[in-house]
Amino acid sequence: MKVKILNSEFNEDQIDALREFMNVSIGAATANLANLLDAFGTMHIPEIEICNSNELADKIESTIDLESMYYATKQLFTGKFGGECMFVISEDSARNLGRHLYNITVPSGDEINDAVIELTNILTSTIVSRLTQELSTQVQFFVPSLQFIDANSIIHDEDVAEYSKIIIISTILDFQDQQINGNIYILTKDEAIESLKVLIDKKIEEIYGLLKLNIPTCYWTHLKMVT
Amino acid sequence: MILDDKFVVSYWNRWLAINTQISKDEIIGKRLDEFYPDINYKVLYRKIITALTIGTPTFYDANSNAKFIAINRNKVTTSSLKLMQQQVTISPYITSENKVMVSIYDISELFEAKLMIRKEVEKVHKLNNKLEAEKEIIDKNIMIMKTSADGTIIDISTFFCQFFEFDKKDFLGKNVSIFKLADESDAIYKELWKTIQDKKSWNGELKYKTSDGKEKWVQSRVMPILDSNGELYEFSAVYHDITNEKLLAELYITDPLTKLYNRAHFDETISFIVEHQRKADVNFALAIVDIDHFKSINDTYGHQVGDEALVSVAKTLKNSLREDDLIARWGGEEFVIMLKNVTLDEAKVIMEKVRANVQNNKITDSISVSASFGLTKYIIGEGAKEIFKRVDDALYEAKRGGRNRVVVK
Repeated sequence: MKVKILNSEFNEDQIDALREFMNVSIGAATANLANLLDAFGTMHIPEIEICNSNELADKIESTIDLESMYYATKQLFTGKFGGECMFVISEDSARNLGRHLYNITVPSGDEINDAVIELTNILTSTIVSRLTQELSTQVQFFVPSLQFIDANSIIHDEDVAEYSKIIIISTILDFQDQQINGNIYILTKDEAIESLKVLIDKKIEEIYGLLKLNIPTCYWTHLKMVT
Repeated sequence: MILDDKFVVSYWNRWLAINTQISKDEIIGKRLDEFYPDINYKVLYRKIITALTIGTPTFYDANSNAKFIAINRNKVTTSSLKLMQQQVTISPYITSENKVMVSIYDISELFEAKLMIRKEVEKVHKLNNKLEAEKEIIDKNIMIMKTSADGTIIDISTFFCQFFEFDKKDFLGKNVSIFKLADESDAIYKELWKTIQDKKSWNGELKYKTSDGKEKWVQSRVMPILDSNGELYEFSAVYHDITNEKLLAELYITDPLTKLYNRAHFDETISFIVEHQRKADVNFALAIVDIDHFKSINDTYGHQVGDEALVSVAKTLKNSLREDDLIARWGGEEFVIMLKNVTLDEAKVIMEKVRANVQNNKITDSISVSASFGLTKYIIGEGAKEIFKRVDDALYEAKRGGRNRVVVK
């Protein structure tokens, strides 16, 4: 997994630790998807980026086909690490998902919408919950809202004026015979990013402590998650 | 309600009892599918398990047309919803017993408001599309220009650009004076500027030039746009091409050889002045100019040289006069001049200068001519015949007196 940090104050060690957090969170999400959505294959996370909120519109545009229609689900979560999760999935991928979850060849609009909401809920809840669990804090999730919109209308600068940093997680979900692509955007405010950095630094300190104890590096990830 | 993963109901609150007409005694301990067989239980099961596994709520799509539990709405006033629009949330309740709490919120009013907004937005979209289409028609078919208060071009229609053979980008940011022809009178622009600075609309004809210098006549209406304080903010102008009409009109009033006005136009002008007796018009002097010994030029050098002499004298006369003065070819080798807003003495001084200019002008290297001038002042109230009689007499005297002179009557 590649992690790109844009215009951020994260140093190399912090990026490395963030990558580990994300790996664990995504791993949990993958397991939940496999368990809950049945017949689920694998989920790839080709790229994670942290960018400034005013770069989000450009980021979205660079990852999607501007001529196509998309399903965009937004879900608010509150708490110390509060913010908003946005999941963007193409029309074809959403239809594939509807087919799979409703086990029918031609899903209705309502069925596609429900399937997208369900997938988003599992993905964002798992990732954010796992991340906040690591941050020793709790979040509350609100009802997601779904829009079926053209690529240019997914986000406007004024929509993200409230936010500071955005964590972008590109996902590729391989079902048995249907590929489903989507991007998750975790929109956060400065204080959440600060909490994240404090936690990362704490974890790094712990790792240095483990190094002194001569614990092999292959156990780091596991240890980081259980500390 | 509280359900387990077998859909057995263990709690059913009063709200549900009232709205579904199913009492808690009837339903508690029984499976939900006995009462509501139409729910997609595969999906419900998945949502229950998801909530229990992740430990966070799962949701149904709040905009869905399919209702979790169909509840009639009894709204008496107008409503687009016959059934209650529901927001259904499934939250983990007692995880160890696989129990979840299903919360149903009535979001019908909100949903109706949303539908109404969507309807209104669609209307706005339709209107916008219509507006855009009409804007496009206007842009492609009407010459329109918008400038700032200092005359800097802000916007210009496509049709305008095509007509004047410019690219839009060549116009934007430039001053509107780029269209003015070098030899065009400033007077009309001064009048235009004064009118619009007085916050009034100006109507008139303007001569503009295309990118390659071709002259075009446009009927123009320039309108000031005021800001909220009533101060000049911008100007918008609408133009209509009248080049062909102007060419035809010019042809009708122009002498083809000398390009001066013809006799018909001069007659029309003086008749109008005499008839209307407007104070601004009646203060003028009239002169008739006759080239001396013109017949001998024709006889000696031929008609071509004769014509050259007429053109040359016409040019000298025109260039010797002021912008507001009127000159026309009267016939043969005669010209008529109306000097506006002058006393007779001033008119005599001007005519003497003009006479000298004609005399000093060379038709060819070896040919020059002189001219005789009859001059008189219009007497308020008199007819055209009277003034022409007087000026003819003056010219006759100038001829008889030895030519190449100005005689005043």
